[in-house]
Amino acid sequence: MTNSTDNSPETSAEKNSKVNTNMSAKDNSARVSTTLSTTSSTTEMVALSLKKRHQKERRFKSVGLFSVFFGFMLVIVLIGDITSKALPAFHQYWVKLDINYNSNWLGVDENLTGLELTKQLKKANYRKVLKNSIYPVFTEEPGKKLARKEKRQLFKLFSTNAEFTIKDSLLSSPENLQQTVSIWVRLDDDVDSYLKEDFATGQAGLRISKKQAQWLAKLDSEQRIETRFNISFFTSSDSREPELAGIKGALMGTLLTMFVTILVSFPLGVAGALYLEEFAPKNKITDLIEININNLAAVPSIVFGLLGLAVIINVFGLPRSAPLVGGIVLTLMTLPTIIIASRAAIKAVPPSLREAATGLGASKMQVTFSHVLPQAMPGIITGAIISVAQALGETAPLLMIGMVAFIVDVPTSIVDSATVLPVQIFLWADSPERAFLAKTSAAILVLLTLLLIINLSATMLRSKFEKK
Amino acid sequence: MNKIEIKQDLSQIKLTETVGNIYADDAKMSIRHANVFYGKKQAIDNVSLDLAKNQVTALIGPSGCGKSTFLRCLNRMNDTIDMCRVTGQFMLDTQDIHAKSLDPVLLRARVGMVFQKPNPFPKSIYDNVAYGPRIHGLTNSKTELDEIVETSLQKAGLFNEVKDRLNDSGTGLSGGQQQRLCIARTIAVSPEVILMDEPASALDPIATAIIEELIDELKEKYTIAIVTHSMQQAARVSQHTAYFHMGKLVEMGKTEYIFTRPSHKLTENYITGRFG
Amino acid sequence: MNSTFLFAVLVFLSLFSYWFGIKRSLTVAGGIDNKKYLDCLPEQFGLLTAMVCGIPALVALLVFNSAEQLVVEHMITSTLPTHIQTLSSIDLGLYLNNIHSMASSETALVLIQGAKEASDSAVQTQYRAALELQTLNNNASWLKTALVLMIAVGSVIVLVGKFSLTYKARQKSETIIRGILVASSAIAILTTLGIVISVLFESIQFFKSVPPTEFMFGTQWSPQTAMRADQVGGSGSFGAVPLFAGTMLITFIAMLLAVPVGLMVAIYLSQYASAKLRSIAKPMLEVLAGIPTVVYGFFAALTVAPVIRNVGEYFGLSVASESALAAGLVMGTMIIPFISSLSEDAISAVPKPLKEASLGMGATHSETVVKVLLPAALPGIVGAILLAISRAIGETMIVVMAAGMAANLTANPLDSVTTVTVQIVTLLTGDQEFDSPKTLAAFALGLMLFITTLGLNILALKVVQKYREQYD
Repeated sequence: MTNSTDNSPETSAEKNSKVNTNMSAKDNSARVSTTLSTTSSTTEMVALSLKKRHQKERRFKSVGLFSVFFGFMLVIVLIGDITSKALPAFHQYWVKLDINYNSNWLGVDENLTGLELTKQLKKANYRKVLKNSIYPVFTEEPGKKLARKEKRQLFKLFSTNAEFTIKDSLLSSPENLQQTVSIWVRLDDDVDSYLKEDFATGQAGLRISKKQAQWLAKLDSEQRIETRFNISFFTSSDSREPELAGIKGALMGTLLTMFVTILVSFPLGVAGALYLEEFAPKNKITDLIEININNLAAVPSIVFGLLGLAVIINVFGLPRSAPLVGGIVLTLMTLPTIIIASRAAIKAVPPSLREAATGLGASKMQVTFSHVLPQAMPGIITGAIISVAQALGETAPLLMIGMVAFIVDVPTSIVDSATVLPVQIFLWADSPERAFLAKTSAAILVLLTLLLIINLSATMLRSKFEKK
Repeated sequence: MNKIEIKQDLSQIKLTETVGNIYADDAKMSIRHANVFYGKKQAIDNVSLDLAKNQVTALIGPSGCGKSTFLRCLNRMNDTIDMCRVTGQFMLDTQDIHAKSLDPVLLRARVGMVFQKPNPFPKSIYDNVAYGPRIHGLTNSKTELDEIVETSLQKAGLFNEVKDRLNDSGTGLSGGQQQRLCIARTIAVSPEVILMDEPASALDPIATAIIEELIDELKEKYTIAIVTHSMQQAARVSQHTAYFHMGKLVEMGKTEYIFTRPSHKLTENYITGRFG
Repeated sequence: MNSTFLFAVLVFLSLFSYWFGIKRSLTVAGGIDNKKYLDCLPEQFGLLTAMVCGIPALVALLVFNSAEQLVVEHMITSTLPTHIQTLSSIDLGLYLNNIHSMASSETALVLIQGAKEASDSAVQTQYRAALELQTLNNNASWLKTALVLMIAVGSVIVLVGKFSLTYKARQKSETIIRGILVASSAIAILTTLGIVISVLFESIQFFKSVPPTEFMFGTQWSPQTAMRADQVGGSGSFGAVPLFAGTMLITFIAMLLAVPVGLMVAIYLSQYASAKLRSIAKPMLEVLAGIPTVVYGFFAALTVAPVIRNVGEYFGLSVASESALAAGLVMGTMIIPFISSLSEDAISAVPKPLKEASLGMGATHSETVVKVLLPAALPGIVGAILLAISRAIGETMIVVMAAGMAANLTANPLDSVTTVTVQIVTLLTGDQEFDSPKTLAAFALGLMLFITTLGLNILALKVVQKYREQYD
C-alpha cells in the first residue's frame, strides 16, 4: 500500500497502537463515506452563502476604517475648535487718546521739580485726567455736557489699566506736564470682544450699547483704533480683568513645580528601578513592591491630591499652594511610571555586558553604575520625559493642595503661592467673562505646544539611540 | 573532502529544466510556470508540476528551497502576505485558482491546509471541528453538524480518543492528537485537496507514525500534497516526489524512482544525505 | 540659617569631605606613591566620607524641619492664657495663625513696642505671644544649624579616625548605596501606606458622625446644609448613592463610545491597515492620549455640551446644560486610545498560526477576527476594559468642568448628575476645617474611589496574567 522502501524497525508497542488506530479509522471511514455529502455539493453550498459573507466582510472593514477616521475627526475637531477659539486672544485692540496732563486735574503743584514732583506725580489723580480728557471729545455739540449715564458708558470703554498706562507715560517723561499727548491705551475686554466679532455689523453687540458702538465707529474712522500682538498675555500674571490677564505666573508656577518633580522623581525612580532590577532578591517583599508599583500607577490622580493634603500639608506642615508640595505630589504620582519605564530600559541591557564587567572583577555596584546604568540611560530618560509630560498636564491633585487660588504675583521660589498652567486653564474656563474663553483656549494652545515639544524630544531621543 | 567535492558539484550543475516526469495521468491540480516573488527576491522560479488525483505528492528539498512557499500558493495563503507576488497558471480541475474572478474563500474550502505546528483554536474539540461547516454554512441543523463532527473525527482517527470530552478545550490534547484534530477540522468541510506543511515535524515518532498512517487513509478520498523534511516520511507516504532546490523544481517522478534511481546529481546528493 | 541655605552648606561640606577622604586615605597609605597598599581606591574612601558627612545630617535636617513646627506650636500654646488654650481647635488655629503672621511680618522691636503700648490685655497677649514665637523660631533655627553641622562634621571625624590600610571603604559605601536604593523602591510602599492611612484615618473620623450605612445606602446628598446649621453631622445628609449612580452613568456612557470604537480601531490597525495608515494613525492616537484632561474638560463644557443641548432642543428634548451625556462622550473620547492600544497588544499577541488556520479553512478575514482572534484575545481585551473603567471612575477634570454639582439620582443621560470625584473637589477646594464632616466626607469618598479602582486594577492584572500563561 505505501511505498516505504526503508521503513525503520518499530517497537511492538508502536505497532500495536498503529494497528489499533488504523483499524478504527478504517471501519469508520467505511461507514462515514455514505453519510458525507459529496465534494461538489460542498462547493455549491459554500458558493451559495458567499455573497452575503463578502458583504459582511466589507461592512466589517468599513466599520473599522470609519472608527479610525472617527479618531482622526476627533483630533481635528478638538484641536481645530480650540485653535479657532484661541486665535482672538493673541491680538488686542488699543486706542489712541489725547491726554491733557492738566496739573489741576492731577492735583499737582506745577512749580515743583525733581524728586518732590515725582513723589506728587505718583500719587496724582490720573482717573480725573483720563475722564476730563475724553469727555469733551465725545460731546456731540460744543458746550453741551454728556449725561451721567453716558459718561459711565464712555469710561467703561477703556481698560481699568488705562489710567496706569497714562501714569507710567507721565512718570517716564515728566516734561509732558501741562501738555496734551497722544497715548495708546488698552480697550476694555467687552469692547475688545465686540471689535473682534460684531464690529463689522455696526450694530450694538453683546454688552455693548448702541451709543458705545457709535463712539467706537467714530474712533475707528479717526484711525484711533489699532490691533496689536497681545504680548502681555505672556508677560503678565493672572488678573480679574481679562484684557490684562496673562500666563506668566502660571508658566513660572509650572516651571517651579516641574523643577521639583524632576529633581525628586528622577533620582528616586532610577534608584528604585535599579534596586528592583539588579539587586532585589526574589522574595515576597520584592513581589509586594512590584505589585504595589503596578497598582499605584493606576490609582486616580485625585487620590494623590488627598494624600498631599492630609499628609504633606496637614502633617508635615508644608505651605499650601506651593510648588514644593505640588512637585512632591506629582513625584509620588509619576514615580511608578518612571520606575516601570526605567526597569524596562535596564532589562534591555544585554546580560553579556554585566557578565563581561563582572568577569573583570568589578563589584556588583560598579557593574551597575558604570556599565548598566549608562547603557540604560537613553531609555530611562525617554521614560522620564514622558512621565514629566504626564505630570505637566495634571490638574486634579493640584486642586486638592490649594494651587487653585487666585494669585497675581509671579512666584519666585518653590515655597511661594503659585498656580500652574493646567489649573490656570481650569480657573479661566470657569470665569463668566466672555474674553476669558479666548484666553483659556490660548492657554490650552500654549500647554499643548509645551507637551508637543516635550514628546517630540522624547521621540527624537529614542530614535537617535535606536539608530545607534 | 566530501564537502569540497559537493561545492564544486553544485557550482557545476546548471539548474535549467526539471528532469523526470512532472505529468500525472489523472491530475487534480496542474501548475505551470509558477513564479513567486517576495518584493524583489524570487522565491519560486518557473515551477511546473501536476498533483495526481487521490494520491500523495511529497515536496522535498533543503530548507529555504521554496517548497512551503509553493504549497501556500496552492490555496492562495500567500495572499495574506503583503509584498508577495505570484505569476503562472494554477489549475484546479479546469479552473485557474489565481484568476481574479475566483474567490479565495471558496478555493480554501476546496483546498484545505494543515500546518507545521498543531494550531487548534482555543475552543472546545467540537467547536474546532465544527468551525469550518459553521462559517461556510454547510449544515442546516444541529444533528447534521454533530454528524459531520463525528465523521470527521473518525476519519482523522481521533473520535475514539475524544468522544467523551468533545466539550474540552482542543488545546488540552497532546501534540499528535492536536494535529489530528487539525486534520479533522480541515476535512470537516470536505475539501478536494489537502495541503500539509510538514505536519509531523513537531511531533514525537509515535504520533508521527499515526499521522502517516492517516495520510495513507485519507488519500482514498482526497488529493494530498505534503511538504516534508524527512525523506523517510516522503518515501513512506507518497506516490510522487518533487525535489526543490533554491526555488526551482529540480526533479520529479514516482517516489520509488526518485529514491532509488534519481536522475539529477542534486537529487542524488540530497537523498543520500550529503547536504540539506 | 534657613533650611535652603543649610542644605547648600551641606552639599558643599560633602564635596569637601570627598576631597578630605581621599587626602586622609593617602596619608594613611603614606603618600600617593603608596596608594597600592590600600585595600580600596582613595576615591572610594572619598565617596564614603562624603556620604557619611551628608546623609545623616540631611536626615537630621528633614526630621528637625518636620518636628519643628509641631513643637514650637505646642510651646507657644502652653504660654497662652487658659481661656485661649481651651478654645475649639478651629478658633485656636485661627488665633495661632494670627500670631504667626504677626511674628513673620513685624520686627522684634515693633512687637515689644506693641506689647507695651497695647491697652487691651488680649492684644497685649497676642503681641507677647508673637514675640515669644519669634524668639522660639530664632532659637530653633540656631539649634538646627548647630545640630546639623555638628552631625556632619562629627561623623566625618569619627569615620576618618578609623581609616587604615585594610579599611573596607568600598564595601561600606556600597552598603550605604544599597540602602539608598532599597529606600527609593520602598517609597512606592510608603506612598500606598500613606494613601491608605490618611484616607482611612479621615474616613473613620467621618464615620463617627455619619454612620457608614447612611453613607453607603442613603439617597440624599447635600453636604452644604451641615455647614449652614453649624452642626456636626446633625442635619447634613451624606447619602452617597446619587454620587455612585452618577459616576456609573457617566462611566457607562464613556464605555459605550470608547469600547466599540477603540476595539474597531485596534482591529483595523492590526489586521487591515496599510503600513502607511498605521504610521499616521498611531501618532494620532498618541495625540488623543496625551491631551491633558483639563483640555478635554474645557472641550466638554464649552463645545460639546452646548451642541448636545441645541440638538436636544431641536428635537424637543429638555437637556441640562451640564448633561451626563456631554461629560460621558468626551470621557469616552479620552479613553479610546487607551482601549485601542491595549486591545491591539492583546490581538497581536494571538499566535499567528491560529489566524492562518482559520484563513486556510476559507474563513473570511472578518470571520477570522470575530470567531478566532477576538475570543483568543478576550482576556486581554477584558483586562483593557477593566482598566479603562477604573480610569473613567477616577477621572476628575472632565466631570468637574462638564458634569454638574446637583446630586440627582437619575438614569437619564440628558440630566445633570454629579460624581464622586466632582464632590471630592467641591468639598475640598476653598476654605476648610479638618473636623467638619463636610471635609471629612471627601476622604470617605476618596476611600471608596481608592478601593474601587484598586480592585478593578488587581482584577484586570489577574485576567491579563492568566491570558499570558495561556500562550507562554
